[in-house]
Amino acid sequence: MNVTRRAFNLGAILAAGTVILPGAVRAEDEKTIAIMFDSLQSPFWVTGFDVLKEKAKAAGYTPLESISNLDDNKQFEQVQSMIQKKVSGIIIVQTDSKAVIPAIREANKAGIPMVHFNRPPAESDAKSSAVQADNRAIMKSTVQALVDKARKAGGKYKAAILIGDLGDQNAIQRRDGFFDVVDQNKDIIEVVARISTEWNPDKAFADLTNALQANPDINFLVTSSDFLLPQIQQALKIAGKWKKTGEEGHVLFAGFDGDEGQYAALKDGYMDVGGVQNLFYEADLAIGAIEKMNKGEDVPKLLLDPGFVITQETLDQDRDKMWGYAVWKKANG
Amino acid sequence: MLLLTALYVLCLWPFAPEIVSVQTALEVVMAMLPLLLLAIGQTFVLIVAGIDLSITSTMAFSSVVAASLMTGDGGYLAGNALAVPVALVAFLLIGLAVGYANGLCVVRFGMPSFMVTLVAQTFLSGAAIWFTSLHSTSVSIGDLPAAFSVIGRGGVAGIPYALMLCLVVAFAAHWLLSRTTLGRWLYAVGNNPRAATVSGVPTGRVIIIAFVLAGFCAALASIVYTSRLETGTPVLGQRVLLDVIGAAVIGGVSLFGGRGKISWVILGVLFLSVVDKGLQLLGLSQSIVFAVKGGVILLAAIIDALRSRILVRVAA
Repeated sequence: MNVTRRAFNLGAILAAGTVILPGAVRAEDEKTIAIMFDSLQSPFWVTGFDVLKEKAKAAGYTPLESISNLDDNKQFEQVQSMIQKKVSGIIIVQTDSKAVIPAIREANKAGIPMVHFNRPPAESDAKSSAVQADNRAIMKSTVQALVDKARKAGGKYKAAILIGDLGDQNAIQRRDGFFDVVDQNKDIIEVVARISTEWNPDKAFADLTNALQANPDINFLVTSSDFLLPQIQQALKIAGKWKKTGEEGHVLFAGFDGDEGQYAALKDGYMDVGGVQNLFYEADLAIGAIEKMNKGEDVPKLLLDPGFVITQETLDQDRDKMWGYAVWKKANG
Repeated sequence: MLLLTALYVLCLWPFAPEIVSVQTALEVVMAMLPLLLLAIGQTFVLIVAGIDLSITSTMAFSSVVAASLMTGDGGYLAGNALAVPVALVAFLLIGLAVGYANGLCVVRFGMPSFMVTLVAQTFLSGAAIWFTSLHSTSVSIGDLPAAFSVIGRGGVAGIPYALMLCLVVAFAAHWLLSRTTLGRWLYAVGNNPRAATVSGVPTGRVIIIAFVLAGFCAALASIVYTSRLETGTPVLGQRVLLDVIGAAVIGGVSLFGGRGKISWVILGVLFLSVVDKGLQLLGLSQSIVFAVKGGVILLAAIIDALRSRILVRVAA
């Protein structure tokens, strides 16, 4: 029997369909939540992604995940796909606060609630809610705890702060939180270096090294993000200031975020105070907001995570609330 | 290619029934339009055995410059009736200028096209970020006029403007390649530039035109993307370069020059867009998505390389 190419192709398609169809039966009553990140570029986002998936499962949802790879247009298309999947809600981390607005409008049109995780959108008529750490308040509490330690130890302090990218609202709020406290304590603290890192680790290292050379008496240091810890450690080592609490030459040091580096630095005695974003609480807020919106309840545009401050003294009792400890434990067994 | 697309849809159907729906078809078409514009532009350059890596940065740079003209948030022409037309001209002029500069460097200085366009890509990316910082306190320029946003999202009688634009460009490109002397010259230069020169083809001019057309298409794609997102952003389409080249190669355009048709490119873009949509609907982890897409593009590139090798042997 002669088989034409067309007949062969048609047969192949039908055969593939016959094999696959019975094997896949979709549960119609399955509740799904879309968890859409723009990237997984730091432990914070990786952990946030995992925590959200776990919390969604615990709440009875099947998480559908997508990463846009920092492509706003791709994320817009992914949102459209999730709307088609009739998800119960969308938790999104967008790259651009303005470019996400058309995607919010699409979700609004479909009646699907959307929650922005740690990055609020720009002001618009589109309706959504955002979960965000209260950066300024957490930084204020963190710096206050460090100042309290300074007062307890006595003496005068020369301070340096590593500031993030000033195009990023988080960085601005953290900087403001630092000055809220320091400006009230000018009698013992003089800020001698404001290091603009632009969230660039290389720049942070170079500028902190320069600041330590220009001001060798810096003894009070605050970073706006823990992801700069390796560079800070290196710069302090070069300056002979990477010392544990109680050792000669120790710099009073505070971190922000609560990553595994912060946990290790607190545990090992190099860091005194850490501001922690409560990622677990933020995930609960996000999923709770979706459930409320689906019930027709009003949810504020911004849901704040008050975070918490952790010190060497409170580390053992509070570390389970610290997302960085979960990462550290996973890596160190 | 069409058969492969159908087979893929059939295989995915039980797992993501939404893939067989009018809504999905519409979204696939809308998603493939800017990609198709970019792939058509890239095809001209690939046919002359070059490559244009700067198309995404051309898009980004033209996006922020045009947005700075028409944004309601302190734009140069905010509220002016001429804002949108002037911005559209700005998009196109930037695309044409970048394409001309790329082509000129390749022809006049004999530099490899990948090097010239890689430098252009880096330069324009940096310039786009710098330009944005001059015009916005955030990382992008929003508040674009509704008359502009409608280009990417609106339409007439159910037919999107972007689709109309894309069809016109596709028909024009097909006509240029298959019916005109310039089209024949493009293939001749890609097949054997020396033989083309000896035969009287103005090789240099033809290469420059190929790059100018790529820049022009990048500007059109930028218009569609920017209007769809209602935002001018310096990172616009930075991640689509592999998709563009991949779609062209999957469609049978040779990386070695002298071979390619617009109808093939349309099918290549369609296939890649359907693959993408299917993976989105499955909600799979990103590692699987990258592996599948990368695998498909790699396979197409290997087939292209094998085909070229066989053709060389047959010719010998």
